[in-house]
Amino acid sequence: MKVAMSGIDSISEKLGISDPWVEKRGVHWLETSANTVSIRELAQVMGDFHARLVTITAYQLPGEEGTLLEYYWDLGGKLMGFPFKLAANSIDSIYDICEAADWIEREIHEEYVVNFVGREYEPLLLREGDTPGVNLREETI
Amino acid sequence: MSYKIPMGPYHPALEEPYKLDLICEGETVQDAKLHVGFNFRGMEKLAETRNYIQVVALMERVCGICSSIHTQTLCQAMEELTDAPPPPRAKYIRVIVAELERLHSHVLWAGIAAKLMGFKTMFMTSFELREKVMDILQAISGNRVNYSMNRIGGVNRDIEDPQAILRMVEALEKEMGRTIIPIFTTSSTARSRCAGIGVLTKEKALSLGVVGPVARASGVPQDIRRDAPYAAYSELNFDVPVVPDGDVTSRLLVRALEIMESCKIIRQALAQLPPGELYTGDEKTQFITGTSASRVEAPRGEVIYSVSWKEGGKTPSRLHVRTPTYANMPAIRAMVQGARLADTPLIQASIDPCYSCTDR
Repeated sequence: MKVAMSGIDSISEKLGISDPWVEKRGVHWLETSANTVSIRELAQVMGDFHARLVTITAYQLPGEEGTLLEYYWDLGGKLMGFPFKLAANSIDSIYDICEAADWIEREIHEEYVVNFVGREYEPLLLREGDTPGVNLREETI
Repeated sequence: MSYKIPMGPYHPALEEPYKLDLICEGETVQDAKLHVGFNFRGMEKLAETRNYIQVVALMERVCGICSSIHTQTLCQAMEELTDAPPPPRAKYIRVIVAELERLHSHVLWAGIAAKLMGFKTMFMTSFELREKVMDILQAISGNRVNYSMNRIGGVNRDIEDPQAILRMVEALEKEMGRTIIPIFTTSSTARSRCAGIGVLTKEKALSLGVVGPVARASGVPQDIRRDAPYAAYSELNFDVPVVPDGDVTSRLLVRALEIMESCKIIRQALAQLPPGELYTGDEKTQFITGTSASRVEAPRGEVIYSVSWKEGGKTPSRLHVRTPTYANMPAIRAMVQGARLADTPLIQASIDPCYSCTDR
């Protein structure tokens, strides 16, 4: 279902994306974001709009396809989703722009061995002393 | 000279295991490092091996306090993937149980906070009231901890005698209005112990993305029940208490006010409980391929479930949970910086942390 909303429309405008938001099962998606906007640009714009980072959900894609990250932000009760398919299991960290991403990035690094570029990792968040990837990835490194 | 004081993972001031390494100069805390994971059970991975009935029972065990909230959020997400919206009566029953859980959680927290303040009488009073909340939940569900109320498409059990539940809630509300609320809002003992400590400014709260009473006590007017209504909340009148100061007193005050708001919501929901079915959908639930996300305002703040299913699949292909304590925990570091060492147990408890939720 395609929706038009003034509050979140100004976000897509600021990102320079003309495609409409698509509402799907409780989330407003801007599907084209991954191809046209970097995660750091997106985080910056979200910060400018005082949107709150809710979480990042990681998916291990089949075979050699890598990992998909879905970033969720909230703006006045509207949940916005932005999918990012990772090349070489690596993406820029947004921790320095968005403090709320700290623990989330650390957990995903621990679960899926995703490398968030530009940050250092403290010891594992949930399984200190263990090997990254053993939680949720099918094959560990 | 600075020195490190480890607190936890097993410590008299902590109700559940986690560890704080406090870096101190004299009696003043300069910084803190948090260590979690002592309750890690791998539940997200485990969920990928459970069918749609088993996964509800599994996720009910993420938390012992807001167990029904977890199944409600999960069921709401799965209802989007099965096209089985709950009937009106089920939505109201979900609200009633969710608000009773909020009462349970807040009263339990009030007792723990009172214990850490050295306010033993208040501790005993809170736990006596908590028992009464659990009596109501038992009257509805037959259980005192894991209520098994939610299923895809609705609820498993009816509230057969709303008037009897209403009488129990009214008696409880009267008792809370006589004890917990005046003590926590006006008592000089509570105020002198909590005022001005563990401050989280509004700017920091926004930056860290904290949720629930922790956010509202720092002046952030955020509540999923009002901002993105689910179940029957859009049909009910309630206020969202917001206090600007960001200290432990503010968190105390927000929860005290929320207790009264929850009683107000329960009274309305019981009075307006519509007739009808308890659930929709037949016995054979069919999932479509896709991902669905659902959010609920748990007692400690927003919880989000993201569920992915493949058509014809017997189990979820991915289930992700972000619990409120997971969002609130990093704020403890900011709260204890500059605090007196003796205040740190109360400050960390003031976010009402749940490590069972955090670790999953």
